Amino acid sequence: MRRWKMLLALMLGLVVIAGCGNNGTVEETDEVEENEKATGEVIEIEWLAHPAYSLQSPGPERVEYLQNQIDAFEAEHGNVKIKPDVLSSNISEAMARLMEQAAQGRAPAIAQIDSYILPRFYDYLQPLDPLFEQAGLDIEDFFPFAQDIMRGPDGQIYGIQFTTDTRVLYYRTDVVDSPPATWDELFALSEQLKADGYEAFLFPGGRGEGTIVTSVLPFFWAQGGSLVDDQDQPAFGTGENREYMLNVLTFLHDMVQKGYSPQRLANYGSEGDLNSEVASGNVAMFIGGNWQVNQLAEILSEDDMAKWAVAPLPQREAGQQATTAGGWAWGIFTDDPVKQELAFDFLMRTFVGDEGMASWCTLGGYLPTRHSVYEHEAYEGNEFTDIFREHLAEFARMRPAATVYPEISTQLQIAVSDIVSGNKSPEEALEEAWNAVAK
Amino acid sequence: MTNLKLDYQQTSSAKVSIFKVLGNSPVPWLFPLAMILVFVFLYPIVDMIRLSFTNANLISAEYDYTLSSYLTLFTSSGFSRMILITLFFVFFSVLFQMLLGCLIALLIDQGVKRGLTGTVMVRTSVLSAWAIPGVIIGIIWSMLYNESQIGVINYMLHSFFGWSLPFLSDPNVALISVTLANIWRGTAFSMIMIYAGLQTLPRDIIEAAMIDGANAIKRLVYVVIPTLAPLLLINLIIITVDTFNTFDMVMALTGGGPGQSTEVIALSIYNRIFREFELGQGAATAVVLLAINTLMTIIYFHYMEKKQVVA
Repeated sequence: MRRWKMLLALMLGLVVIAGCGNNGTVEETDEVEENEKATGEVIEIEWLAHPAYSLQSPGPERVEYLQNQIDAFEAEHGNVKIKPDVLSSNISEAMARLMEQAAQGRAPAIAQIDSYILPRFYDYLQPLDPLFEQAGLDIEDFFPFAQDIMRGPDGQIYGIQFTTDTRVLYYRTDVVDSPPATWDELFALSEQLKADGYEAFLFPGGRGEGTIVTSVLPFFWAQGGSLVDDQDQPAFGTGENREYMLNVLTFLHDMVQKGYSPQRLANYGSEGDLNSEVASGNVAMFIGGNWQVNQLAEILSEDDMAKWAVAPLPQREAGQQATTAGGWAWGIFTDDPVKQELAFDFLMRTFVGDEGMASWCTLGGYLPTRHSVYEHEAYEGNEFTDIFREHLAEFARMRPAATVYPEISTQLQIAVSDIVSGNKSPEEALEEAWNAVAK
Repeated sequence: MTNLKLDYQQTSSAKVSIFKVLGNSPVPWLFPLAMILVFVFLYPIVDMIRLSFTNANLISAEYDYTLSSYLTLFTSSGFSRMILITLFFVFFSVLFQMLLGCLIALLIDQGVKRGLTGTVMVRTSVLSAWAIPGVIIGIIWSMLYNESQIGVINYMLHSFFGWSLPFLSDPNVALISVTLANIWRGTAFSMIMIYAGLQTLPRDIIEAAMIDGANAIKRLVYVVIPTLAPLLLINLIIITVDTFNTFDMVMALTGGGPGQSTEVIALSIYNRIFREFELGQGAATAVVLLAINTLMTIIYFHYMEKKQVVA
C-alpha cells in the first residue's frame, strides 16, 4: 500500500511538471494581464540595460539618479512597475543573447542595444513615430549618423540613440606645437619626438574592437573606403577598398617599424589600455575616445592634464576627414500599445528628453546625441566638448550593421596585431584577413 | 460469466504485477534524475553536434544543414596552427603542473614529517592560486607582464639586467607567457592531489625500502611513484581535460593575440560564437574539443576498469 502511495505521488509530480509546459498557461497569463490592466493592477515594464546604465552600476550617483527616476515614474503611474534586468557586460555576448531572445519573441519591453547593431533588430522592434510626435521629439535634432541608424528602410523610427562617443587625436601641447594633419606631418613630427625620448604616437593595436573603430576605420573611411558593398557583403579586400586598407595597415606597420610606436601596442585592444602609458608621462600623442578625458583627469595631476589637447585625426592626405561614432540606443520590443507608451515615457524622462539626456550624459561623461541638449543648463561637458560635437556633426560615421561585420572586425584585429607585433607584413596580413572573411 | 471473471482477474493480476515490479525497481526513483541529466547534459551535447552540421548564426533564426562548418574549419589555414598552439599550451602546462605539484607536495610532506612550522601556510597560499577565477588570474598576470614602465617583471629585469622582454606582444614569447601563467594556476590542484596520495602511502613499505638501503631518490623512483601511479594518472587526465577547456584566463591575458598566437581551441569556440556570432562554426570547433575530451575520458574509464579487474 505504501509503495502504491509513493508511486501515485511520483506520477502526480510528473503530471504537475508536464503541466508547467502547457501552452494554456501562456494564454492564461495574457488573460490575467488584461484583467490586471482593467482592474488597475500592476503592469510590469521589463527594462534590460547594460550594467553601467542600470541599478547595478558601480557609480553611486548613477544609481541614485536612476532610482529617483524610477520612483518618480512609478509614483506618477501608480499601477506600473519598472522591472530591471541587466545585460552581460561583454557587449558582443549580450547583443547575441538579446538577438536570440528577440527572434524567439522573448525580448523585454525595453532593451539597450549597441547603436551600430540597431538595424539588425528592425524586424523585432516597434515603430516609434507616433510616440516621437506625441512627445514633441524631433528626429532632426539628432546627429546625422544617429538618424541613419534610428530610421529603418521603411523610413520609420525604430530606436532612440541616447549616448554617443567619438575618436580624436590627443597631443601634449608642451611638446607638440601644432598637431599633425597628415600622415607625412605625423612621421616628421614623430621622428623629432623619438629623438627627444618620447613615445611619439600610440594607438590600440591588439585583439579588441578598439583597434578597428579607433586605429583602422577612421583612416580607411577618410580615403573613401567601404568595408562592405551594397549587398552587405565583404568588400575591403578588393579594388580600391583593398588599396585603402593596405594604406592604413602599412601606415600602422611603419609607425612601429620606425620606432615611433612601441611593439607592445599589439596587446592593447581597447582605447583605455593606453591610459597607463599616458600616465607614465612619456607619451606625446595618441588616438583615443572622448571618454578618456574623464579617465585621464582621474589619473593625471591637474598640471599634467592641462598639457593635453585634442585635434582631428591626421589623415593620409590633407582635406580627408572621418572618425568613428559609437554609443547606445534604446529599443522597444513590446507589442502592447499601453506598455509601449509607458516604456517611451520612462525613456524620455530618464535618458532621451531634454533634461533626461542632459542629466544622464553629464553623470556618465557621455556625449548627447541631440544638438539641443548641448545647450541645456543641466548638461556639463568638458573643455573639449565643442570639438567632439563638431566631429560628431561633420565627420562621424558608424560601423556597418552588416551581419558579416563581426567577422570582418575579428579578422582585421588579427591582421593589425600581427602587423604591430612584427609577425606579418601588411600585404600578408590583409591577404589572410580577406581570405578568412571571403571564404 | 466465469470466463469473464477469470479474464478480469488475470488482467488485474497483470496490472498489479507491473506496479509491483515498478515498485520494487529503482527505475521510478532514478527517472527524475535521469530526466535532469538528459536535459542538462545530453540535450546540449546532441544539440551542439546538430548545430555543427548547420550554417547557423546568432543573428538570423534561419539556417540550413550543411557540412560547410567542418569544411571551413578543417581547410582554414588557422586550424592546424590552433591545434599546435593548443597542444603546446596543454603539454607544457600539464608537464610542469605535475612536476611542480609533485615537488611542492613532497616538500610539504617532508616539512610536516619533520615538524617544520609554516607548512599549512605554504599549502594554503599555493592552493589560493587554484581558488582564484581564471579571468582574475589573467588580469593579475597581465599586470605582471605589462611591457611598459609599470610592468612588475620588466621593471625588475630592467633594473637588474638592463633589458626587458616582450612578454605579450611577441607571438612566440606570448604563448610561453600564457603557458607559464596557466602552470602557476594549475600547480596547486596537482599539489593537493599528490599530497593527499602521499598521506595514504603505507609506512611499512617505505621503512622496508629504507632498511634495504634505498636512498631518498631511489625510494621516490622505485616506491613512492609506482605506489602513487593510479592517482598520478587520474590527476594527469583531469588536468589535461581542464587545460584543454581553459579559455577564461587566456581571454583576459591576451584575447588570443597577438594575431592568433595564443588562440587555443576553447578560446576559438568563444570567439567564433560570441564575437563573430558563427554558431555553426563554433559548434564544429566545440565538437573537435569534445572529441579530444571524450578520448581523455575513455582512457580514464579504461584505466579505472582495468584497476577494478586487478583488484
